[in-house]
Amino acid sequence: MTTGLGATLVRAGRRLLSSLPALFGVLVFTFLLMRVLPGDPAVFFASGPNAGKEEIEQIRKQMGLDKSVPEQLVFYLSDIGHGNLGRSMMTGQPVLKDLRERLPASLELTFTALLIALIAAVPLGVVAALRPGSVVDHGVRLFCALGVCVPTFVSGLLLIYVFYYLLGLAPDPTGRIDVFTSLPPQRTGFLSIDFLLAGDVEGWWAACKQLILPAVSMALFVIAPLARITRASMLVSLGSDFVRTARSVGLSCRKVVVTYALRNAILPVITIAGIVFSTMLGANVLVEKVFSWPGVASYALDALLSSDYAPVQGFVLLMASLFVLVNLVVDICYGIADPRVSIE
Amino acid sequence: MRFVSFRPGCCVLATTALLLIAAAPSQAQTRAETLRYVTGSAVNTLDPNIPGSTRESFALSMSTYDRLVAFGRKQLNGKWVFDLDTITGELAESYDVSPDGLKLTFRLRKDAKFQDGSPVTAEDVKWSLDRCVTAPILGKAQLLTGSLTSADQFKVIDPLTIEVTLPKPDKLALPNLATVYPMIINSKVAKEHATADDPWATAWLKEHTAGSGAYVVETFKPGEQVILKRDETWNRGSANKPAFFKRVIVQSVPEPATRANLVERGDADLVVDLQASDVQSLEAKGKLKVVSTPQYNAITYVSMNNQMPPFDNVNVRRAIAYALPYDDMFKAALFGRGAPLFGASWPDGKPLNGIYPFQQPVKLDLDKAREYLKAAGLPEGFSTTFSFNVGQSSTAEPMAALVKESLGKIGIKVDIQKLPDAQMSTQINEKKLPFYTEGIVAWLPSTDYFYRNFYTGNQRWNYSSINNPDLATIAQEARFEPDKAKYEEAGRKLNAMHADLMPQIMLWQPNQDAVMAASIEGYTYEFHRQVDYRDVSRK
Repeated sequence: MTTGLGATLVRAGRRLLSSLPALFGVLVFTFLLMRVLPGDPAVFFASGPNAGKEEIEQIRKQMGLDKSVPEQLVFYLSDIGHGNLGRSMMTGQPVLKDLRERLPASLELTFTALLIALIAAVPLGVVAALRPGSVVDHGVRLFCALGVCVPTFVSGLLLIYVFYYLLGLAPDPTGRIDVFTSLPPQRTGFLSIDFLLAGDVEGWWAACKQLILPAVSMALFVIAPLARITRASMLVSLGSDFVRTARSVGLSCRKVVVTYALRNAILPVITIAGIVFSTMLGANVLVEKVFSWPGVASYALDALLSSDYAPVQGFVLLMASLFVLVNLVVDICYGIADPRVSIE
Repeated sequence: MRFVSFRPGCCVLATTALLLIAAAPSQAQTRAETLRYVTGSAVNTLDPNIPGSTRESFALSMSTYDRLVAFGRKQLNGKWVFDLDTITGELAESYDVSPDGLKLTFRLRKDAKFQDGSPVTAEDVKWSLDRCVTAPILGKAQLLTGSLTSADQFKVIDPLTIEVTLPKPDKLALPNLATVYPMIINSKVAKEHATADDPWATAWLKEHTAGSGAYVVETFKPGEQVILKRDETWNRGSANKPAFFKRVIVQSVPEPATRANLVERGDADLVVDLQASDVQSLEAKGKLKVVSTPQYNAITYVSMNNQMPPFDNVNVRRAIAYALPYDDMFKAALFGRGAPLFGASWPDGKPLNGIYPFQQPVKLDLDKAREYLKAAGLPEGFSTTFSFNVGQSSTAEPMAALVKESLGKIGIKVDIQKLPDAQMSTQINEKKLPFYTEGIVAWLPSTDYFYRNFYTGNQRWNYSSINNPDLATIAQEARFEPDKAKYEEAGRKLNAMHADLMPQIMLWQPNQDAVMAASIEGYTYEFHRQVDYRDVSRK
């Protein structure tokens, strides 16, 4: 067992090392891209009612834009080396601090959404695969199609309209916690966990209630790929020799489907789940906006619109690092799901 | 009630119980005595002087800091708006303007205290005003418009008296001291946090307050929300008592539809910056109070670059002015919610008064437009682009489509260009856009101020890039004109020139729609176009 774990760790470490050049490339590329984009952040931020040339120069200097691009890049890289991602003009805070405060919000939302999506999608896919062409299969297909064609902000607004505005069941869609609830001491940054650690069940329930609507509207959008891939891979697996053998020796239906077919079918689902997770994290900006969720994606979008370089660069770096991590986790999950797999 | 965890250790239990006792009564009273104000953007700094600070930050600083003086308020068509002509004391108990208009003397209130309990002295006032004109902050450019440029102009006479000297009798000096930037800071506290690189403590004040305002910052999450607590000893309000609400929550809710839902459900008390369509439906339902005030210090323009062909030809500009479908644009963009600046009739061809902005004597008249195009030597029309920024697309998009359609009828082919906000400001600053729509806001809306800032110089706010020496001279002279009749005459001249030269076309002054719970009273339209929390109370 130890050797197995050790091997996994070595593999993971090697994986991590080999991703460093890619991360560096992303870093430099985003840096250059932001500078190539038209739009001068200094002019934008100097938009007080009387800001003139002097103010613009002032901000340019403050943002370090008065230097040449290669010089800026060197400064930027050395700052990154010291763990400094720069300062956001928008919030006036160091980017690292902003991201640290906002990332748990995004992660909590994305994890919950992915969990909801997986819980819904895998059974749906399995059921559809068991009876291909039946009413159930078509029902699942219709549901998936609907989920994909309704953009997340539309489903988000619809959910708000029904559950908050009409029925009054959901709390007001303004962020992670009701403004009148006091926050638990921050440990993980995940409110649902922090409340539990603080032993505050009422607060935990309040945080969960805030989380449900945005998570569901995000989940609706990703159920389709997950359910479809589960169905497809289950079909292959159900039609294979080992399932036929299992059936013929008279194993229970449950054992055949869950233990043999599903376990073999789950690999592609894990891959897709990993990809879906990374996409959701970056692309949930619309949900974050609609629910005033203080996450990283809406932060990056605001920064991009105002050409605030540092937050955008910080965000891309964060996303790239997360992508590397997620891929790593997916690889490790492979090993657990199917011990025959060893990725080098 | 909260759930108490049964962890060992009576210490934990005792603390939790104490917290419960402390929290229970305040929880019960909070809702009615709390103002929950939701905004589209967010407070990003506690010092409004920091470049890049938002309107929400301006409004916040009005309540966390006091100034020497404040604007009064007046009723305009039955709605309360700020009054530029009534300046009342805030930290100043009284003030005098010398007969020649060159000396302003302020006597401070004896009972005024900073939030840390120390008295407000003339030294603090001097330090704060010095900071505003010396430090590289936004206040510098603002105070310049009131001839306040150097620290030598502020003199401490005694601990409660400060004197401001002006090089010229500038009408805008006093109003400038009531704007957002020249707030009075507790200089002792600020100096403790000043560094050699940052002698005016700008970095520290960005995240902390040291003022004497009506509210104390309880929590500040940049970009999300600010929670304020009332300062019980503050008495600079009109009725010499603290502000009404015990707590104020200023929260950012980016989605306008969600803001509308919140206020309709009663979860938010007050909101501005809703979409015109939402305001209309909320007003129709009649459950909430809707106060719509034309933003009389803001103007939306269709601007043309007077230095760039073909808009350098006055007849082209006139043709455009007669080819815009004003009424349709007004309805499509704003649902008619605002004050139109078109369609006036000037019986003798002269301006009705000397006030800017004025209603222009133009309306949709395609025949006239074609004549002007012919006079410009472009009877076949031309091609151009019409730009607007993404941030304004909800109003500008329908407008742009109408402009394109209408100009198409006289042969002008328009390509609509939608630019990200930063890109749009850059292009405006570099004078690269031929034809676009933008808006302006002036904190101190007087005729000469508008003409000086928005029609002269090679600078960003001169949207039309007009360079007319006569106009500039008249506006410059009007600035220091003490005689009201002569000032009015100068204003009429400027307005006549505007109508003749048509450097850009004034469209309208959009409404500020404040939607609030029926119990909220006292809302006033302020120069910073946000809510001053000290104005409002609950019935």
